[in-house]
Amino acid sequence: MITKEIKISRLLEEYPDSLNVLLNISPHFSKLQNKLLRKALAGRVTLEQAASIAGVDLNILLNELNKLNGTSGNSVSETNINNNSKEETETVSKEVSFDEDKIVRLDVRPILNSGKDPLKDIMQKVKQLKDDEVLLIINSFEPIPLYSVLGKKGFSHFTKKEEQTFFVYFYKNKEEDKSEFSQAVIDENDFENIIELDVSQLQPPEPMMKILETLNQVDEKTCLLIYHHREPHLLYPKLEERGYQAFCNKLGEDHYKILITKK
Amino acid sequence: MQGLVSTAYAPPFRIVLKYFITAITAFLLANILLAFNYDTFQGHHFQPKLLSITHIISLGWITMIIFGSLFQLIPVVLQVKLFSEALAEIQFWIFTFGVIALTYSFWFFTIDMPLVLGASLINLAVIIFLINTIVTLTKVKEWNITATFLSASLFYLLITAAAGLLLAINLGYPYIEGNHLEYISYHVIVAVGGWVSMVIMGVTFKLIPMFTLSHNFSKTSGKIAFVLTNAGLLGLNYELHSKNQFFFLLFSIITALGFFFFLYQVYIIFKKRIRKKLDAALKFSATSYIFLGVSVLFTLFFLFVDYTTIRNITLAYGYFIFFGFISMLIVGQMYKILPFLTWYHKYSSKAGIEKVPMLKEMYNEKLSYISFFFIITAVIGVPVSTLADNNSLVLLFFSSMLAGVLMFVFNMIKILLK
Repeated sequence: MITKEIKISRLLEEYPDSLNVLLNISPHFSKLQNKLLRKALAGRVTLEQAASIAGVDLNILLNELNKLNGTSGNSVSETNINNNSKEETETVSKEVSFDEDKIVRLDVRPILNSGKDPLKDIMQKVKQLKDDEVLLIINSFEPIPLYSVLGKKGFSHFTKKEEQTFFVYFYKNKEEDKSEFSQAVIDENDFENIIELDVSQLQPPEPMMKILETLNQVDEKTCLLIYHHREPHLLYPKLEERGYQAFCNKLGEDHYKILITKK
Repeated sequence: MQGLVSTAYAPPFRIVLKYFITAITAFLLANILLAFNYDTFQGHHFQPKLLSITHIISLGWITMIIFGSLFQLIPVVLQVKLFSEALAEIQFWIFTFGVIALTYSFWFFTIDMPLVLGASLINLAVIIFLINTIVTLTKVKEWNITATFLSASLFYLLITAAAGLLLAINLGYPYIEGNHLEYISYHVIVAVGGWVSMVIMGVTFKLIPMFTLSHNFSKTSGKIAFVLTNAGLLGLNYELHSKNQFFFLLFSIITALGFFFFLYQVYIIFKKRIRKKLDAALKFSATSYIFLGVSVLFTLFFLFVDYTTIRNITLAYGYFIFFGFISMLIVGQMYKILPFLTWYHKYSSKAGIEKVPMLKEMYNEKLSYISFFFIITAVIGVPVSTLADNNSLVLLFFSSMLAGVLMFVFNMIKILLK
C-alpha cells in the first residue's frame, strides 16, 4: 500500500507507473522526468510534501496511485489532511518584515530549469549568511523539504506567494541558543564534499582500518559518511586522538550511519 | 542527520590482559598435569588430583577468561562504562589466590582450612565481580538479549560459588545431611548449564554475527532458548528438595530443549553469514557448537540409563564438555579477540599514517589449523579411549591435546609480542 510517508524515489522505484499518474495530476511533477533532478530531489521528498508542493489534494493523489497499483489505500484520514493545510496557511500568514539591505536573494528557478539540484547552492548561501541577515529563496513551487532542513539549523521561515512564484524568507531565531544548535545538529549537507564509505561488509578491524585510512581526506569542507552494521564504539577514541568527531544515527536494525567531521 | 557526539567506552586493556594471560597459563598447566597424571584419569571422578585439575580448568581457565572477556565486552556491547576498574583489578588478585589455594588443597587433599580459605577468597572475588557488573548493568540504556543472558549468568555464578563454598566446608567439617556427591552434581549443573552457558549464549549473539557478518536474522529462537534453559535449570534446582523423578526428567528435557533452540539460533546466524569461508577461529567455534549438541544428546541419554554402572563415563562426559564445547569455543574466540585487541591498542593509532600489520599477519595461521586438528582428535579420542579403559591411548590423546594447546599458546604469545 502506498502511504503519504513514502519517499518519491521509492515510489518511482517500486511503482514505476506512478510517474504517469503524477504527471497527469499536476504539471508541477514534470521535473521528475529529468533523471538527474529526480535522483537529487526525490529521495528527500515524501509524497505528502510533494502533494503540497504541487498544490494537489493528497487524498486524490493517494487514491489514484493505489488504484493504479492495485493496492488498497484508505489510510489517510480527513482530519489529517485538514490539520496539514491549516498549518500551511499559518506559515504563509505570519507576516514578518525585513530590512531590505539585510536580504540575500537566491532565485533557484534557473538552477532547477538547467536540471541541477539547488540544495548545494542554498547551503552555501546559508553558510555565508550573517546572523542578522535573511535568506530569500525564490522558486516556482513551495520548497517544503527545505523548511525542516533549515529548521534544524535554527532557521524560521515565512512564505509569500505572488501568482505562481513563491518567496520564502529564512531568518535566524533570536531566542534560540545558537551554540547548542551548532553542537547538536551537524548535517552532511553542511559540507561541500561528502565521502561515502560502506564498511558493513567488512570483518573487524577492517572497517576501522578503512575509516582511519580515509580520514586524511576529511577537512573543514569535507565530511566522511560511513555506513556500518553496528556502532563503532572503539573507533571514537581513535577519532578523538586525531581531532575528529563522530555523529551516529541508527537507521535500523544492523544499520548505522556515522558522520565524521573535523573538530 | 542528528545525534550527539558519540562517546567512547574504551575498556582497560591492561586489566583484561592480566585475566587472559593467567587463564591461558592455567589451560596449559591443566593439560600438562593431565598428560603427566594420565593414570588417574579412570574410575570415579571424585579424586584429589582430578578435583584439582577440574577446578584449574573451570576456575583458572574458563571462569578467568570469562571475567576478562566480560570486562572487555560489556562496555562495548552494552554501551556503558565499566563501574570500577579498581574493583576489576582487586578482584583479579583475590580470585587468583583463591584458585591457587583451592586447587592446591584439592591436589594434596588438605581439606580443612586451606580449602575453605580458597573457596572463601573465590566467593569474595565473585561478590566483587557481581557488584561491579550489576552496577554497570543498571546504567545500560539500550537493553538487549545479550544483557538478559548476562544477568541470568550472574545469578548462577553466585549460586555456583556459594554452593562450592558450602561443599568445601562440608568436606572438612561435614554437616550436610544426605549425599555429598549428589550436591556436587547440582554444583556442576549450575556452573556449566547456568553460569558458563548463559555467558556463552549471550556473547554468541553478539560476537558470532560480528565475525561472520550476519545481519537481519530473527532472534526468536534465542529468546525461546533463554526461557526454556532458565525454566529448566530453576526447576532442576528446586528438584534438589522435592526429589521427584518425574519432575527431574521433565525439567531436564526442558533445559535440553532450550539448548537445542540456542543451537538452532546459532545455525541461523551461520547460515546468514556473508563470508562463506570459515577461518580457523570460526572453525573452532562452529565445531564447539556441534559438540555442544552432542553433549546435550549425551545428557538426555543419561536420563534414561543407569550411567553409574558404566565405568569412566562421567570422566569421558566431563572431558568432552570441558574441552569439546567450552574450551574449543574459547580458543576460537581468543583467535579473534586477542589479535584484535592487540592490534587496536598497539597499531590503530598508526593506521592510515604508516603501514600496520593485518590481523592474519599477527599469528601463524597454518599453526592454528594444525592445532585445530590436534585438539579435535583429542576431544574425540580421550572420551572414547577412557570408555574403552585403555590407559596408553588416553595418554596418546592427552598428548595430542597438549600439542594442540601448546600451538595455541605459542600463537597467543606471538600475538602479544607483536
